[in-house]
Amino acid sequence: MSVETETRERTRAGSSLPAWSGERLRFAIFAAVLLLAPVWLPLIGSYTDLGTRVLVYALAAMGLNLLLGFTGGLSFGHAAYFGLGAYGTGLMLRYVGPNMWLAVAAGVLLGGFAATLVGPVVMRRRGIYFAMITIAIGQMFYFIAVRWNNFTGGEDGLTGFQREPLALPGGSVTLTGPHFYYFVLFFFAVGVFLLWRVLNSPLGHAMVGARENSRRLEFLGIRVERLTWISFAISGFVTALAGSMNALLNNFTSPLDLYWQLSGYFVIICVLGGMRNFWGPFVGAAIYVIMQDYASTMTKNWLSVIGVMFMLVVLFFPRGLLGVLARRRSG
Amino acid sequence: MDIFTRNLGRRTVLGSAAAAAAGAMIYPARGTFAASETPVRIGMIDPLTGTYAALGSSEVLGAKVALNEVNKAGGILGRPVELLVEDSAADPGTAVQKARKLVNSEKVNFLMGAVSSAEALSLSQAAEELKTFYLDTGGHTDLVTGTQCRWTTFRTCSTTWMLTAGNFQTLFDKFGKDWYFITPDYAFGHSLEQDYSEQLRKAGGKVLGNALAPLGTTDFSSYLIQARAAKPSVLIILTAGDDLVNSLKQATQFGLDKEMAISGALQELEVLQALPPAARLGWWTFEWWWDQPNQPHVADFVTAYKAASGGKVPSARSWFGFASLHAIALAANKAKTLDTMSMVKAMEGLELPPEVALQPNNPFYRAADHQLIANEFPGYVISNGTYPNLFHVADIVPESKIGKSAAEAGCKMTYPS
Repeated sequence: MSVETETRERTRAGSSLPAWSGERLRFAIFAAVLLLAPVWLPLIGSYTDLGTRVLVYALAAMGLNLLLGFTGGLSFGHAAYFGLGAYGTGLMLRYVGPNMWLAVAAGVLLGGFAATLVGPVVMRRRGIYFAMITIAIGQMFYFIAVRWNNFTGGEDGLTGFQREPLALPGGSVTLTGPHFYYFVLFFFAVGVFLLWRVLNSPLGHAMVGARENSRRLEFLGIRVERLTWISFAISGFVTALAGSMNALLNNFTSPLDLYWQLSGYFVIICVLGGMRNFWGPFVGAAIYVIMQDYASTMTKNWLSVIGVMFMLVVLFFPRGLLGVLARRRSG
Repeated sequence: MDIFTRNLGRRTVLGSAAAAAAGAMIYPARGTFAASETPVRIGMIDPLTGTYAALGSSEVLGAKVALNEVNKAGGILGRPVELLVEDSAADPGTAVQKARKLVNSEKVNFLMGAVSSAEALSLSQAAEELKTFYLDTGGHTDLVTGTQCRWTTFRTCSTTWMLTAGNFQTLFDKFGKDWYFITPDYAFGHSLEQDYSEQLRKAGGKVLGNALAPLGTTDFSSYLIQARAAKPSVLIILTAGDDLVNSLKQATQFGLDKEMAISGALQELEVLQALPPAARLGWWTFEWWWDQPNQPHVADFVTAYKAASGGKVPSARSWFGFASLHAIALAANKAKTLDTMSMVKAMEGLELPPEVALQPNNPFYRAADHQLIANEFPGYVISNGTYPNLFHVADIVPESKIGKSAAEAGCKMTYPS
């Protein structure tokens, strides 16, 4: 199987290419489910904010998965870019002005450029060293947020900002309930489309090649380190976008959004859902967020439930839940 | 498709079974009400895991004792009351998430809870945005009813200023004027340290240093070494919960108690209980004490609490939960509606009756900043004591004497028009 067909197969679920007949239909159903979430979520006794949170975590994990699942770089520091996105947005709203577009842009640029700048340091490492250096750099941002009390609010978190009405050409919209869900869904679609385009470009195929056999790629004259850097940067931008959405969802952000533990949850989400699959992290995020929401009400040991699931998945379905389903279908 | 529907069916069944089980745990006190009455729901957000788990659990248990009493006495507006408890793990972000869930999904009428000041601040902001009444049970920072006071937020526990003013003079007279602080690095610690320093400078003392320890620190050795090098006359430890247990244990293991006095502001029964006898020392302040022989109703609460907790004695945290839930019921019954604005107005100036207050001097929620004005219980730890006789209350200081006025605290209450 050539690298190119492999990438196409992995990302197939999200592609509009008619790889086989049911493809478009399934994507349309998926899109309709997301678009109608504010309608059906209350009907099953849930609430819209839960759907919004699934989108936020899914976007963050899918951003990470470009690096983790498709380029083969295990980053344990992606919460840093998530948190920087959140702080960028929050600080902009708090100190500069109530413009939502600017606030989101500030978050994305802050987190994205941080990842881009850090890239050259991490791209030379492989395996466990890659994980170690990403975790160390991530913690650096965490401690900046904790210590810079009078600017970031320190360990108390950043308060004093909130979602502002969104300026659109036709007037302004207040972002509450379903409105905010669609606001997040829009940016989710933008982020996912970007990832999908990257993965279906020669660049994306080269990334998968780097994961499968980086030495061979080097012999072919491709600079694998630079490839890792690009992947790290794009993944940072997308994760920062998710972080920015998270800050707006809670109207709050705290240093725990930058903490290594959250990075670990993102990795768990990718592995749960299936990190070789384009939509795998989405499934993982849905499971994680719903578990957190429901199980944490019933037992304070809800993380053990996630932990047991994680172990079972790693032991029995190393390709994750969606990976298993996809394999069963094709085989 | 077949598999899909079957899965969904099974999940729904499992979900409703679990919900039914959870329901059985939440609503033990129903039955005296007509089945048709829709319950009034109170959402309680408190740390049940992490550094503050012991403190949070005491608040929840105290609230449950009060819940029982309120339901026995006819509930709120003749409707039964339900308490929905959520774990915040003392993380302000999680606390906000849970508040949204409780208000949007569970449709709770009121919110209460918090141990850490950071979660109290974030909950206070979220509650105002959700236009929901919020009663801070145990987040102490001055800001909550000070410069960041909000029309929807009230507070039962005292401010950090009151905690420090309750025993500052005693510490200063007893231990001298060179102070060194170990401060938890967040809102609670910062405001305690500022409040002590302000009084210390006024009295002519000196701050020799201040070591900031992150919340959840387990190894305090580097801070203790700094403190030893500074040679203060007293080491003031401002941590709380498990952090206070760890810092006191390690300070005595280092032998610091032989070189300097060790004391602080807030001390709690949960902490003293968890400490080895050697580390039980110093002068501190309690916010409520279970042993008040001359105060009516206190013994009844202790008995009821012991029955509910399997023999544990109520701590100040238990009383916060107890008094807060009672206060909500009292205010709602006074307002005769669950509407947030009427509720806030009913709560302003509300005086706790003796069977809820369980202490002298008629505690009341001050209208100007929504702060409960109760008492401080400064005293010293009985080092060879046995649980629950671990603390000697030297004095009961009314907060109306030592607290700042709302204007001094910087609260300008604004209401929506």
